[in-house]
Amino acid sequence: MPPLEIILAGFADAFTLVNLAFVLAGVVMGQVVGAIPGIGPVMAMAIAIPFTFVLDPLVAISFLVGINKGGLFGGAIPAVLINTPGTPDAAATALDGHPLAAKGRPNQATRMALFASVTGDTFSDLVLITCAAPLATAALMMGPVEKLALMLFAFSVIAGLLGDSLAKGLMAAVMGLLLATVGLDPEQSTPRFYFGYFELYDGPPLVAVAIGMLAVAEIFRRMAGARGGPRPAVAASTAGDRVSWADYWGCRWVMARGAVIGTVLGAIPGIGSTAAAFMSYASARTSDPGGVPFGEGNLRGIAATESANSAVMGANLIPLLGIGIPGSITAALLISAFTIHGIQPGPLLFQTQGQLIYGLFGAMLMANLSNLLIGLVSLRAWTVALRAPDSFILPAALVFCIAGVYVSTGGMFGVAVMLISALLGWAMGAVGLPVVAFIIAFFLGAQFESLLSQTLVIVDGKPAALMEHPIALVLLLAAIGTAIWLGRR
Amino acid sequence: MRLKTFAGAALALAMSAGAAMAEWAPDGPVKLWIGFGAGGETDTLGRLVAQNMSEATGWDIVVENKPGGGGMAMFTQLATLPADGRTLGMGVTMPVLVNLTIRPDEVPFDLDSFDYLSTVALAQLALVAPANAPYDDLAGLIEHAKASDGALVGFDAKPQELLMQFVDKQAGAGFRLVSTKSSAENVQNLLGGHVDAAFVAGAHIPYLESGELKMLASANASRHSYAPDVATVQEQGFEIYVDPWFYIAAPAGLPDEAKTALADALAAAITADPTKEVVMNAMHTEPSGDGPEATKARLTDGLVNVGKLFGQ
Repeated sequence: MPPLEIILAGFADAFTLVNLAFVLAGVVMGQVVGAIPGIGPVMAMAIAIPFTFVLDPLVAISFLVGINKGGLFGGAIPAVLINTPGTPDAAATALDGHPLAAKGRPNQATRMALFASVTGDTFSDLVLITCAAPLATAALMMGPVEKLALMLFAFSVIAGLLGDSLAKGLMAAVMGLLLATVGLDPEQSTPRFYFGYFELYDGPPLVAVAIGMLAVAEIFRRMAGARGGPRPAVAASTAGDRVSWADYWGCRWVMARGAVIGTVLGAIPGIGSTAAAFMSYASARTSDPGGVPFGEGNLRGIAATESANSAVMGANLIPLLGIGIPGSITAALLISAFTIHGIQPGPLLFQTQGQLIYGLFGAMLMANLSNLLIGLVSLRAWTVALRAPDSFILPAALVFCIAGVYVSTGGMFGVAVMLISALLGWAMGAVGLPVVAFIIAFFLGAQFESLLSQTLVIVDGKPAALMEHPIALVLLLAAIGTAIWLGRR
Repeated sequence: MRLKTFAGAALALAMSAGAAMAEWAPDGPVKLWIGFGAGGETDTLGRLVAQNMSEATGWDIVVENKPGGGGMAMFTQLATLPADGRTLGMGVTMPVLVNLTIRPDEVPFDLDSFDYLSTVALAQLALVAPANAPYDDLAGLIEHAKASDGALVGFDAKPQELLMQFVDKQAGAGFRLVSTKSSAENVQNLLGGHVDAAFVAGAHIPYLESGELKMLASANASRHSYAPDVATVQEQGFEIYVDPWFYIAAPAGLPDEAKTALADALAAAITADPTKEVVMNAMHTEPSGDGPEATKARLTDGLVNVGKLFGQ
């Protein structure tokens, strides 16, 4: 750790009015793009990066951090209010967030998401600030074999979500895995199921499938169900529509567990926030029943997912700042912002740029606070705006979905994939197949296949070679144990 | 952003009035398509080139991401557009050349479907190992592999795999090739000791400085500027190399004056100081900015070389 005066100088650099202004601007922008399906913080950061070239490095990075953090929470707003999540993480938030909002407690649902998001985020930022370097070194021990075992463990925990109808849940998951096989195979680069479309070489675009199945399908469903006169898109507030201190405090263990799950998975490059959000949600559901059944508006469900997926993002910077490896796309974008300014991320970053890094930490803490304050104000605006009749809101949301997917996938192909996914999602919903199981399997499937292929090469096809990977063995045993335990319940 | 567009348009108007006899100017915004998603190297480079070009010429330049198949989706679409100089595409040579080599019948375009405007930079690809590995060059790695029942080598693109298979066939080393998705993943596996060597394009350089990694060979046809002492794979006795160029092309049949104007504007933007700084910082190489002739040669020579990679 650098000397105290460098740390203090770094924080002093961060806490200036100019920086605060850029962080605030970033958070506002992030919340808006996060709330619009399909655009999201990644796209916004990529567009903003060339413009930050003229800024001072710390200001530039603070701005990007603001966009990122604002975007993280922004995604939860439409997921909770009108059940149109733009990402799989937000889908986990919608599971309990939307039912609660529909019961006349939109403010309680969105605010709980905000508080949990800021809590998880702050937790992982503090872990990052205090022990990035040792954690990053520990994360290096997770090679492909260990990550594969970790993924299996995550699957066994998430399987608890299939619960009610195991057969239907498995069917949906297998369909998701099947869709994940579209594209070049990781071993020989043979194109599979691509039907002459080069767009499918990298698999169906994730954003298009997620928005199609989760958001557009819901929009269609609500449009089809519309009868009679105009109704507000969001249920009106009823009594008790707020988060009391008791509500927040009652979720403390759920949030703590979510923050830990998110931080651990975030510190390991290449696992991602979807697995963390669903692992946290599943474990909250199996171990913390609470009053209201899960899936019908349980506050703990919201707290679990939002604390976990927000914690991932701070922890993603652990490998980036500790050893110079980006743990996610947003971390990679921050790297390009660093390199544009001539700062080489890598093992020597703390030695050479200590002051800047502590400036970045200062900016992250500032962004968390801004997220909370701006969130409290903007949530009011969102709930009022979305109280417009759903005959306005739904078509507008559909236009945003189409535009967002068009921009991020680069054309009508992505839009077509989105619409097909929407029809599929609608059909699956109609026959009672859980769309969420499909989406998780699809998102993690490609990663899983890649890790499996790497593992097979590394152990050279010999199961005995697993003995050289004790961490993987422990995780595999934990996965089996969880599966048995869940099976008994 | 919007304001900037208006400002750009106003500037363009002013300039076109001022230089009425000027050669060629686009009759509207020029699109620069990036063959990859937002946030990658190609994207960052492309957006910067577009910004410089727009400031220098006053043209309104819009960057759009068209990801899919390492640029194949974008070039497939680009080939069908009219040659009016209003749409340009930026990609990397390797994925295009690989597909043209192994699936020529399925690819709806060939090298003649485009007019080539400029190269942007050459990606410097290195074979890297942990610093404490008991080998310092390719021969040592082969030795190690023979002695220890094979060696694990990470790669993130097909040509790297083919290069290693070529070496393996000639030397009988018994490499086991681990497919990954990015240089970052390879660096991580190297640092964690999960592989014996891996291909990395630039991300390894800070670790050379910190003494955690070492470079075994340059996989390009030339040595790398930052490591002039490390020999290429060719110099180490294997007649093979991989040269991935970032380049910009337009649909074939551009009028000559348009081609010249675009190529000049691109070359100026690519070799401008801000781009140079970023390319140096991010990729540790000079931006190239070759003109149309040289760029086309890069592609045609590259196709011959990729044929050789596959024809082993």
